[in-house]
Order: sequence, then C-alpha cells, then structure tokens
Amino acid sequence: MAKFKEKLNWRFGWLWFNKEKVFMKSWQKIPEQIRRLLVLMVLLIVLFLIVRSWLIPPDCGKYGHYRASAVDNIISQPLRYAGQVECGDCHEDHMEVKNAGYHKNLACEVCHGPAADHIENPDEVELLAPRGRGYCPLCHEYLPARPTGFPQIVSDSHNPMKPCIACHEPHDPKPPETPRECSACHAQIARTKSISHHVYVPCTRCHETPEEHKIRPRDFRPTKPQTREFCGGCHATQTPEIKGIPQVDLQTHGQRYVCWQCHYPHLPEAH
Amino acid sequence: MEEIIQHLAPLLKEISGYIYPNEIELHWGILVVIYPYITGLVAGAFILASLVKVFNVEEVQPTYRISLLTALAFLFVAPLPLLAHLGHPEKSYEIFLTPNTNSAMAMFGFVYAWYLMAVLLLEVWFDYRESLILWSQHETGLRKWIHKILSLFSTDISEKAIKFDKKAVKIITIIGIPSAFLLHGYVGFIFGSIKANPWWSSVLMPIVFLFSAIVSGIALIMIIYMVVTPLRGKEIDMRCLNKLASYLFYIMIIDFSLECLDFIHRIYESEESIKILAQLVSGKLFVSLVVIQLLMGMILPLGAIAIVKIFNLPDELKKLIYFLAALLVQVGIFTTRWNVVVGGQLFSKSFSGLTTYKMTFFGLEGLLMSIFLLLLPFLILYILFKILPPWDEARVTG
Repeated sequence: MAKFKEKLNWRFGWLWFNKEKVFMKSWQKIPEQIRRLLVLMVLLIVLFLIVRSWLIPPDCGKYGHYRASAVDNIISQPLRYAGQVECGDCHEDHMEVKNAGYHKNLACEVCHGPAADHIENPDEVELLAPRGRGYCPLCHEYLPARPTGFPQIVSDSHNPMKPCIACHEPHDPKPPETPRECSACHAQIARTKSISHHVYVPCTRCHETPEEHKIRPRDFRPTKPQTREFCGGCHATQTPEIKGIPQVDLQTHGQRYVCWQCHYPHLPEAH
Repeated sequence: MEEIIQHLAPLLKEISGYIYPNEIELHWGILVVIYPYITGLVAGAFILASLVKVFNVEEVQPTYRISLLTALAFLFVAPLPLLAHLGHPEKSYEIFLTPNTNSAMAMFGFVYAWYLMAVLLLEVWFDYRESLILWSQHETGLRKWIHKILSLFSTDISEKAIKFDKKAVKIITIIGIPSAFLLHGYVGFIFGSIKANPWWSSVLMPIVFLFSAIVSGIALIMIIYMVVTPLRGKEIDMRCLNKLASYLFYIMIIDFSLECLDFIHRIYESEESIKILAQLVSGKLFVSLVVIQLLMGMILPLGAIAIVKIFNLPDELKKLIYFLAALLVQVGIFTTRWNVVVGGQLFSKSFSGLTTYKMTFFGLEGLLMSIFLLLLPFLILYILFKILPPWDEARVTG
C-alpha cells in the first residue's frame, strides 16, 4: 500500500503541489462570458440547495412522497364518528330491527349524524333524527342515474305534505303496502317505456314476475325473454296481423342476432 | 348548500340531455384557455427568432430581437393563469423542491424552467452581451448599473469573444427549437393524453397545438412590429413584412391541413362519441368553431394573404391587409384554445347531454383577471424594450 502511494505521489504529485496554478490556468482558458455564467450558475445552484434544505420539512419522504408528521396531524384530529357497533351496545332493539330490514347496510350515523360525542356523554349530547320530508329523498328521489330496482319516488306527488316516517319506520322502511306498480322501483324503465311504442304493453307480458318479487326482490327475480320467437309472437309476419304493429320475417331479418341486440325493448324505436 | 344551489340553478336551465352531477360546472375555465394561448405565443415567437439564426433568413432580421423579447415577456406570464386557477400560488415552489415525477403537470414546471433559464435567458444574454457592455460604457446613473448587472460585469468585447457569442447563440437556438417544440408539444400532450375525453384524446393534438402556436407567434410579431415601428417614427421594412406574411401563410396551410386531417380522422373513425361531438360542433360550438376559428381565423386571413401574393397591391394596402389578417389569426387561435379547453368539457361522459360554461367577471378565475393576464405580457414587453432596445440602430453604439 505504501509503495502504491509513493508511486501515485511520483506520478501526480506535481498536480497536487501546483493545483492552484493548474486550476487558475484552466479557469483562465475558459472564455470570459462562460466564466461569469458558471459563477452565476454555481451561485444559483447553491442558493437553490440552501433554500431547498431550509424549506423541505425534515420528515418529508420518510414513508413516501409526503410529510411523515402529516399522519400524526391527521390522527390528532378529534374523532367525530363512532361506528355502528358502538350504537348497538345501548340501542339493541333498534339495531335488531334495522339489521333485519332493507336498511341493514346503512350505518346509523348516516341519518343520525356523527355520534362520538354522544357516546362519550349520552345524557348531555343528544342525536337528532330527521323527521321532515327533506332528508329521505336525498337517496330516494327519482334520478335516472340510480340503479334500477332501487326504490325511488317523486316527492312532489308521493303523499305530499306527509312526513316519510308517518308511513315508513326508518329502521325497517318496508312500504306499508306492497307496491302495486313495477314503476315504484323501476322508475327509469317505466318512464322510458311510457314514451315508447310499448307503452300499452304491460311489463308482465314479457317478464313473468312471481308475487314474492315485490317483497323480496333479489331472491325472486322476474324472467326475461330468451328467444327471437318471443318477440316474434307479435312482430313476426307469420303471426296474425295486428293493426299498427310492425312485423318482420324472422327468417331473413337479422338472422344471427337476438332482437334486443339491436332494439332496446323498453324503447324499441331507438336502435 | 344554499349558496351552491343558487350558483348551479341558472346552469341547470342550460343543460340539455343527461349529464352527471359533477359535470354541470366546468372545472377548467377561461384561465386554462389563456395558458395554452400564451405558451403558444412563446413557442411561436421563439421559432420565428430561430429562423434568423439557424436558417439564416436575413429578411426577418429586424424582428429577431423583438421575437426573443416577446417570447421572454410572454414566458414570464405563461404559468400565471395556472397559478391563479389552482388557487394557491404561494405553494407553487413546492413542485420544484419535491418533484413528483409521475405527474405530467408537475414535470411541466421543469420544462418551463429549462426553457426559461437554459434557452431564452441564455440566448438573450449572449445576443445582448456586447450591446450591454457598449451601452454601459456610454451611460450614467441607474441605466448604466442595470446594464452592467445584466451583463454580469462582463467586459470582453474582443473579436474572439464576439465570435464566441455568435456561436453560442446559434447552438442555443439549435437546442431551443426542440425545447420550444417540447414546451408547446407538452401543452398539447396534456390534453391529447386524456383518454376519457374523446374531444381531446388524439395523438395529433401536440402537433396541431404546435403549428397553431407557430401561426399565432408569427402573427403576434407582425402585429408588434407593425405597431411599434411607426410609433418610433421609422419605416416598416416591407421585405421583412412580406417574408413574415409568407411564413404565416405557409404554416397556416400546414396547420389547416392538420386540423382537417384530425377532423376527417374523427369522422372516419366514428367512435361512440361522434354523435354528441357532432351535436356540440353544430350547436354550442358553432359560432366559436365554425364561424370564428375556421372562417374568420383561418380561411379569411389565408384568402387575404393569398390575394396580396397574387395581385401586385400598393404597400399601404398590403400593410393594412397583413395587419387585419394577423389580428384575425390571433382571434382565431384564441378561439382554437377556447374550443379545445371549454369544448372538451361541454359534453357529458355519458355522451348524452351538454352543459354550458358560465364565466364570472370578478375573482381569480374571472374575465377581469383574464384581461389583466393578457395585457401583462405587453407591459413586461414595454419594460424589456426600454431596458434592452431591440432596434437595429441601438445595436451599433460602440
């Protein structure tokens, strides 16, 4: 090792001793304008690094692309929601009813608001329950974007002036009487069909619907037509002609497809 | 809640068809229209400047320094609409300190910084260095010191040093052209890469943006040159103006062809969005797209410059036609940006409904702020013209 160092000294020692001179010589060789720009650039880089080290929080990047202490800040925020397990500890009766009904997947605090304070101080902090007509329609007002089968009403015409809780027990909100019309839950389809040529065709003409479907819609599903011949029952030239119903020859009309690949049955004129 | 409902109520009346709730109000307003417009002017002005240095087009020499300073003035303002739009300008430095390399928008900060520091400022510095030294030798007081500081106290004006400056300018310009393409190509990329929006998502978008940027840049320099020269009591160089108009004409033809290609491509592809887009173009965007962008901003100026080229018109009439054509081009390119940014948000992602854009007057995102941001570069340019006179006679004061 010592020999190697000696050799290195012999080879490059002159550079070491004259480093200032060599540096100055090389520096002078650089054009004047570049030298000035270099100085400015170095100054800017140093300034940037100083500012950077000063401004970036020390714990930034510890866990990821964020300030690690931000997690503690968020944790230190007061808890406002308690979760429905806590509610069940005292309100067992309501919980039981709710868990057996259509609102079983809804957390208590969706309607009653944040409950953490109430759990800490049940006597002093009381939770309110919405009693007017404004709250339930937030979920149940008719909106075409809501999934079909989801109970929807038009609040202006659905028992106006009566508060929802007069007929529906919110913990088990099954309707006081079984819905008579399919449109009670399938509002969008009913509205689409009402402007189509199928307006006078009852839903049950195409969908065989067990009576239990109205009580337990997911367990008892209505049927759907499976074959071309089903539509052909009205629309095939082979069937007796009914005035105003368009008919096609099923042998030649779109042979390889089933009807609803081109015609939407609830609005058959749109395709 | 009440406030939100009051704000949205008038918009709801303008909606047609079915749209999702979060599409009623546009997220990107007029400030995001101004941003690509201004960035385009920067790229366009710089590319015009590079014609002199890289392609040795001597005729447009009188506009070289004007182009550089215009690009610089507009570049200073380019990020301001975004900062105003995002609402927290005081936090903007953070993208430089802890950059997120996965964010295309964050990376723009670096493209911008590169273009400003490594291209424009350097080129301006090398080009003006000799003049700065000479000016500071003959001046007194504040101006002397401003020029001295701007020259970084440089003193070498030997033939060798001047030759080096010229070489440096040429190299920077060569690097600058792809950088200018990157700067504005990026703006097109930001829109073109949004897969979910059929009005934006197009590979051609960065290229169309780029050529429309060059068109708007050349037209802007024509306007500035034609306004400033008579104000200084000088004669407009018709050779220069004719050449500028020629470049404007040819690049407009390329831009027009690219836009037509994009249009034909969309129609031929006829993706599922075509019906709503057709409804958009023939309805809400008809005036701004067909009348202003296409007829007034493209076909009319193209026809006007073609007439000048075909017939031998007197110089005064030529100037008038060029000026009006350049103004129309500016209006046209601004509406191009409008149609891209606002148009892309007017239709629902359900492809079955249209909303409308309601601009506010006051506030950070309002019309007043927009007018201010459009005028600010001209104020900066005025100051730059005062500090760094780009005129030919100012060049030789040695």
